[in-house]
Amino acid sequence: MRISKFAIPEIIFGRGGIVHLASCAKRLGARRVLLVSDQGLVEAGWVDRIMEILRDNGLEWIFYDDVHSNPRDSQVHAGAEVYVRERCDVLIAVGGGSPMDAAKGIATIVGNGGRISDYEGANRIMRPLPPMIFLPTTAGSGSDISQFCIITDVARQVKMSIISRSLVPNVSIIDPLVLLTKSEQLIISSAIDAFAHAVESYLSLLSSPFTEHQALKAIRLISRNLRPALADRSIEALENLSIAATSAGMSFSNAGLGIGHSLAHSLGGMFDVLHGLVHPVLLPPVMRFNLPACVDKMANIGRIVCGPRMCSNEYIAQAGISWLEQFFADLGVPVRLRDILPERGCLETLAKTAVNDACTLTNPRPASWESLLGVCQEAW
Amino acid sequence: MTPARGPSLEDLIGIEHSKLGFFQELRRTIEALKDANAQSSQRRREIAAILDGITDIMMVLASDLRILSVNHVFRQTFPHEPAPEGKFCYEIFRGEAAPCPGCPASQAFATGGICRETAIFKIGGKNIQFEMVASPIRRPDDPESLILVFKRDVTREKEYQAKFYQAEKMATIGMLATGVAHEVNNPLTAIFGFAEGLRRRLPALREKVDPRVMEDVEDYVMTILQECRRCQDIVTTLLTFSRHKTVSFSPVSLNAVVEDTLKLLRSHLKQRSQAKITVRTDLCDNLPKVNGDEHQIKQVMLNLLVNAMDAITGPGRIIITTFQSTPEAVCLSVEDSGCGVPAEHMDKLFEPFFTTKRSGKGIGIGLSTCMSIVQKHQGEISVKSEPGHGAIFTVKLPVNPDQAS
Repeated sequence: MRISKFAIPEIIFGRGGIVHLASCAKRLGARRVLLVSDQGLVEAGWVDRIMEILRDNGLEWIFYDDVHSNPRDSQVHAGAEVYVRERCDVLIAVGGGSPMDAAKGIATIVGNGGRISDYEGANRIMRPLPPMIFLPTTAGSGSDISQFCIITDVARQVKMSIISRSLVPNVSIIDPLVLLTKSEQLIISSAIDAFAHAVESYLSLLSSPFTEHQALKAIRLISRNLRPALADRSIEALENLSIAATSAGMSFSNAGLGIGHSLAHSLGGMFDVLHGLVHPVLLPPVMRFNLPACVDKMANIGRIVCGPRMCSNEYIAQAGISWLEQFFADLGVPVRLRDILPERGCLETLAKTAVNDACTLTNPRPASWESLLGVCQEAW
Repeated sequence: MTPARGPSLEDLIGIEHSKLGFFQELRRTIEALKDANAQSSQRRREIAAILDGITDIMMVLASDLRILSVNHVFRQTFPHEPAPEGKFCYEIFRGEAAPCPGCPASQAFATGGICRETAIFKIGGKNIQFEMVASPIRRPDDPESLILVFKRDVTREKEYQAKFYQAEKMATIGMLATGVAHEVNNPLTAIFGFAEGLRRRLPALREKVDPRVMEDVEDYVMTILQECRRCQDIVTTLLTFSRHKTVSFSPVSLNAVVEDTLKLLRSHLKQRSQAKITVRTDLCDNLPKVNGDEHQIKQVMLNLLVNAMDAITGPGRIIITTFQSTPEAVCLSVEDSGCGVPAEHMDKLFEPFFTTKRSGKGIGIGLSTCMSIVQKHQGEISVKSEPGHGAIFTVKLPVNPDQAS
């Protein structure tokens, strides 16, 4: 077995855990924090709640909310400028993947200087980053756990993957109560996002006993809790979705992902589609493409989602993928690529861009751009 | 477009990479700071060594003339002031409660430029002349400027300078006097010779001339001869006075010195006596001679006499006395009824270039020259004065300085 590594931030988990934000920040030396969020969070009232906590603890803050749903390089640089100009000392990000990835980008520039594109790839960050505290509000992105940071390079129309252990935040505070105010749409897309993380990282070449366990746990929790959560917003179900997203994050941060995310990144770079909406379309064809390379693992997934059965691994693996297609269809999300893309002509470019993505490396079955194009055509 | 080298599986695992902390960074910063600190303290030591090499008193003053810092020369000069910082500069240098008039530091503050001044300070019972340079220290981050003051001890230089001035003056006067004396001496000799010739022919004339006319002629000739002899005396005195000879000690009569000097100043005194200045001498008979340089002692006498006359405006009197004060010492005193010496000047009278005379009337080297001459003769010079009631300068010389020393 390959030598593996498992690294995660300090995780504070539990209902009402948000109150520990200020003490965590103070422990990290905060006097004046840069609070990164987006406008949606302001409307939900969570930003006010956080400012109240900061104020009650005598902390100053600078609020930065110029963050796009797919954070852009220019937004990262503008944020870093604010951080330096305002002499901030700790970064707090509240929200989904976008504010957290933006905060990671800001921290990278603040600690290392230069342009964010200088750090594209793995382990290019050579100097320490300012302390980061993340409060995920979507139970999906896993950015609060992971060593990945995805920033859109507007000029090149690509999503840059920046991979570094330094991007793992210092503290992640996960409060399931935050999910109570989410829209149905957002709960679905984050849960699917987390589910895709779990599946792809479980099948990844770099998966280890420490990540596989987390991945399977996430798959089980999401398949059992998404419907109850949508039905009555039960706090227990929402909490389980939070646990699932965190587990999926632990898994993919250390094991990496696969071509599903390679394609999703390319799509996001070219069309600015919501990350969570890409996976219901791509995940089943990606799993079918990978099936020959990892039948046993796919069978494990099948047994979790369909329930234990006396049948061959091939059969249960296929059954699992079918279950998944039905699961997505029942959620009422787009399941064909043609539903979210304007026209078919771009698929080749998409495949050629995706094949170079870092996620392609860890895919269980070696994939050329032609095979990626095949996956896309199947999904059309 | 992709990065030059795509990541590998090993890169993703990142066994060799951890979340970077600030410890390394901090350690490097500490190292850099230590280096910088070592360098700056080395530089500080070098600058301190340079500053220690300065032999002038150095101090930094705030705008209220409070001392902020001093150098080691200051501490050597004022061993009884272990902590001068925070005290006022005039407190330490003058013992005064207010800034001295003409303070160069105040001027430098006012003008913002470098300011030089020379002044006499009494430090540790000794008069010291300081040449002072006050220069503003401009600090970009602080609008209030400080003043750096250097004080160089120029006491000895001033003494030498005074001696040099005196010597030069005497040499010039001497040359002039010699020239004049020689020029006058020749016609005088002729006049004297012919007057003598006339006197020898008087008996022959007496039989041929009317006795009344003869009486007048005899009177005229005798007067010419008498005045010629006086002229010769003056010329001789001038010649001996101005002769620039090396210092040689020989027995000198103070009484003779007084008389000779008075002879030189007679016409000057005559002018002044119309302004009702009377000069009286009270010379001690059988005064023992002193061993000394007659020429130099005459200079002392001359200076004292000139000073006495300058001190008197309007009517007054000058009394010159010689007397034996002890079996070993004789004294020469010049007393005047002039303006006297104010108490605050008493200390500095004998300092070179100290003068109260109007500019053009003297540069302040007379008494300092007297002092150095008298000291060379192992004597003393002292002054007693009540302001407004004149002054007595007394020169005391040992009868036999070799024994006295």
